Amino acid sequence: MTDSPRMRVPRWAPPLLTLTVAIVVGNLYGVQLVVLTLAAGALLLVIWLLWNSVQALAGESELTFEEAFSLGARSAEEEQKRAVLRALKDLEYERSVGKIGEDDFHEYSARYRAEAKRLMQTLDENLAEGRQQVERELERRLARAGAKSAEALEASDEAEANTARLAPLEAGAELEEPGINAGHSPAPGGLQCSACQAKNEPDARFCKACGTPLLATVEGSP
Amino acid sequence: MWQSLPELGTGIVYAILIAAAYTFAVALAAGRGRPRLLQAARLGAYTTSALVLFAVLLLTYAFVSHDFRIRYVAHYSDRRMSTAYLLTSLWGGQDGSLLWWSLLLSGYVTACVAWLKGRYRELQPYVIATLMVIVGFFAMLMLFAANPFETSIAGARPDGEGLNPLLQNYWMIIHPPCLYMGFVGCSVPFAFCVSALVTRRLDNEWVVAVRKWMLFAFLFLSIGNILGMMWAYEELGWGGFWAWDPVENAACLPWFTASAYVHSTMIQERRPMLRVWNVFLICLTFFLTIFGTFLTRAGIITSVHAFAQSSIGTYFVYFMGVILGTSLGLMVWRLPELKSKGQIEAVASREAMFVANNWALLGGMTFILVSTMYPKISELWGESATVGPPHFNRWMGPIGLIIFALMGMAPLFGWRKTSEASIKKAFRAPLIAMLAMAVLHAIFGGYFGYPPLVARDAFYPGLVGTLIQKTGSALPGITIALAAFNVAVIVQEFVRGVKARRTVADKRGEAESIGLALFRLIEKNRRRYGGYIVHLGIVSMFVGFTGTAWNIDRETAMVPGDHYRIGEYDLTYEGSRRCPGNSKCSPEEQADIEKMMIFADLKVVRAGKALGYVHPAKFIYQAQPDGPTTEVSMMRSLREDLYTVVGQIDPQSKRATFQFHVNPLVSWIWVGLLILMTGTITSLFPELSFGEVGAWSYVRAGAGVAAGTAFAVWIAMAPSMAFAHERPANSHVGTQMTGLSEATLQRRLPGTGLGLAGFAGLALGSVVSVARRRRDNAKSSRD
Repeated sequence: MTDSPRMRVPRWAPPLLTLTVAIVVGNLYGVQLVVLTLAAGALLLVIWLLWNSVQALAGESELTFEEAFSLGARSAEEEQKRAVLRALKDLEYERSVGKIGEDDFHEYSARYRAEAKRLMQTLDENLAEGRQQVERELERRLARAGAKSAEALEASDEAEANTARLAPLEAGAELEEPGINAGHSPAPGGLQCSACQAKNEPDARFCKACGTPLLATVEGSP
Repeated sequence: MWQSLPELGTGIVYAILIAAAYTFAVALAAGRGRPRLLQAARLGAYTTSALVLFAVLLLTYAFVSHDFRIRYVAHYSDRRMSTAYLLTSLWGGQDGSLLWWSLLLSGYVTACVAWLKGRYRELQPYVIATLMVIVGFFAMLMLFAANPFETSIAGARPDGEGLNPLLQNYWMIIHPPCLYMGFVGCSVPFAFCVSALVTRRLDNEWVVAVRKWMLFAFLFLSIGNILGMMWAYEELGWGGFWAWDPVENAACLPWFTASAYVHSTMIQERRPMLRVWNVFLICLTFFLTIFGTFLTRAGIITSVHAFAQSSIGTYFVYFMGVILGTSLGLMVWRLPELKSKGQIEAVASREAMFVANNWALLGGMTFILVSTMYPKISELWGESATVGPPHFNRWMGPIGLIIFALMGMAPLFGWRKTSEASIKKAFRAPLIAMLAMAVLHAIFGGYFGYPPLVARDAFYPGLVGTLIQKTGSALPGITIALAAFNVAVIVQEFVRGVKARRTVADKRGEAESIGLALFRLIEKNRRRYGGYIVHLGIVSMFVGFTGTAWNIDRETAMVPGDHYRIGEYDLTYEGSRRCPGNSKCSPEEQADIEKMMIFADLKVVRAGKALGYVHPAKFIYQAQPDGPTTEVSMMRSLREDLYTVVGQIDPQSKRATFQFHVNPLVSWIWVGLLILMTGTITSLFPELSFGEVGAWSYVRAGAGVAAGTAFAVWIAMAPSMAFAHERPANSHVGTQMTGLSEATLQRRLPGTGLGLAGFAGLALGSVVSVARRRRDNAKSSRD
């Protein structure tokens, strides 16, 4: 709004100016003019806001980055995933303070994990189309910018590999947030990380403590 | 200065209505498939808020420039008033307080719209639209029923009538805005709720969004209500703090539903259940805030708070109709999607406890609502009934105890299902604490003057009457025992959490001290432990409420030199003095030209130790020579307050009549408020996600919380700064209440029916909900 190229007035400047004028005027002429100055400031604000609103209505203002970003709202699955992760977090907390027995804990934990996994897969599937679109767009732009298409392909491959690597790690990080769930007794049939000796869930692919790939360790060990 | 200031003001109120309508339309368009219009709607909402601010500043200008052409200004101010009181006049009367209400609402609108930036993209348009309807309603009220800029038909007067001296005190500056903050704050959750229903986004996202807003409203509702108690206690001079006045009741109704909501929403955040219930609670809370305002404004029920009667009530009735129609319509429309997908898996679970607690809170709310409205309802069949404080006290005691017991038990259960072993383990220490306290209380209570059993009269004949009488007399003992149980539960929760943290830290090899572990425990689980701190505050308040059971109330007449003994206190009446004029008066008292003050000086000795003096007084204001006000003088401690009031003083003989009260444990209510505020602020502390971590975001969050805390503490400290004023003794609530004997009240009471109705509702609700859960359980297990 204030970021238009013509006038770069910081957002805090007009209110500050109004306040300064009000204080100065107040000291010289009394409280009446303070109120009047503030009222004038408010009126200017009204005019400026209305002007901007009408401009936005007429489609003359540009979409800011934040607005464009917010157009892609979170899906319901994303919210459900968060709720499930929160429930898992709670479950771990409750085990740590002894409010839930081990058997119950494993039963519920398995149920929530399955649900979380299903939701994450759905999310990935939903995102696949968008990701391809972004990659195509990236290639096109790089090609237009004169870069070799081979390089562009490499870049996009790398990006994909990165996201794939990051996804499970992020999920793990979120689970560990309570800070009191690490170092539990191992789940039955759990995996031990060869690098840091941390116990992991039986279906884990990466260690939740250090990120070392787990399946490789198990398969690789004699 | 301005010839056309009143017209400009009225014009601005029109502009508010138009801007709200414009924003509403644009927001709807943005919601119906034109998302790029959202920015226009957001700016429109800001414009509306800025216009309200402009209108308030215009009215302020009219006050400070003494523009007596405006009726409201002439009615509520005069030329002698200081600037601070001129500003107070902004909400001193009906018309201005509506504008003030709109300003607070605009503050919420601005904060909400700014906070929404980049979030809840689909919900935003309808949130804005709903908020604009509410702003528009208040603009319409001002235009058609209570325009603060309306001019007097007779033209400008040379001087105004002045603000009623009774309203010129610290409480009037601080108490209404606080309560309004709580009331108005319930609009935001309602807007989210409507929006979620319209857009069908009924998942958890809006529930998470709404909880903090509701918690904020809850905080201010608590502060506003407790401040109201402080005001009644320190100003009204009848020795108590809560008189079950209709407006007091109206103010506490949304508190019950808001508390119920902040609990039940936690279930929905984890499991797809209780959706209809949560939607219902939000709509009900908002409805009750409007209903409360309606009770205060329309003057349909006689109350000490009521504003003058006006046509404004009709508009509120229409608006309440619109709210009811919209909420119920939307709920029915979306019922298939709101159906629970989860179920309570076991009765021994936190969910089941929360549901029970919800019903208890709602039962209490229903009881207060029905009892408050009963005089009006009974008119339907030609009966004229009054419902007095004894009725409320008798029934709210047991209902409060149920809530209190459930509050203690809920944290002991885990989510979903709790095994028998862990229940036993969790209940052991609190039960031992409770029994120990009960035994100690039985042995030593009488010695200290706080016996666990206090004799009560039987109010109703028959079994129910005897039952209520027995429960009533055992109430103090049970409450204190339950308080011990609750405290033990909270302490146990903290101890378990700290232990778990330290064990883990030890295993990691980074030992944590107890203090550090406690700090990190709260920091990592702010909502949970903030909630426990709030519970601690409530326990403290319950202890304070229980104190009333051991009150000592005495009335006497004394001449100078007389002694009187009340409780452990020896009071010696040393004579009266008139200020200004007497040599014993302080310089401030000598300099007061507004009023004449007549003090009675009493020397206080307790167990042979001189504690100092109390000076109850009568003030006679120049502006109101016929209505002398009563000034309370108190000696406070955490154990008990000595509360003295002087009735009449004979100027010749100096013979005076006094009311003395010893009120045990009252201070714990105010302490409880401070604890509750600490807990709520702990829960509210913004959660920073890793995405926005940076020094600046911490600074911002810290500054926000510091400002909020400072404000809240400042409000809480208000009583110590209060410079008192009083209602005339002949009109205060206490006189009205003590003037009626218990027997008269008894005859006028609608009998046991009303109280039983509350309980029946509560019991029925619990049975229905448990039965439903059972059925769902059975069904799901069959599936």
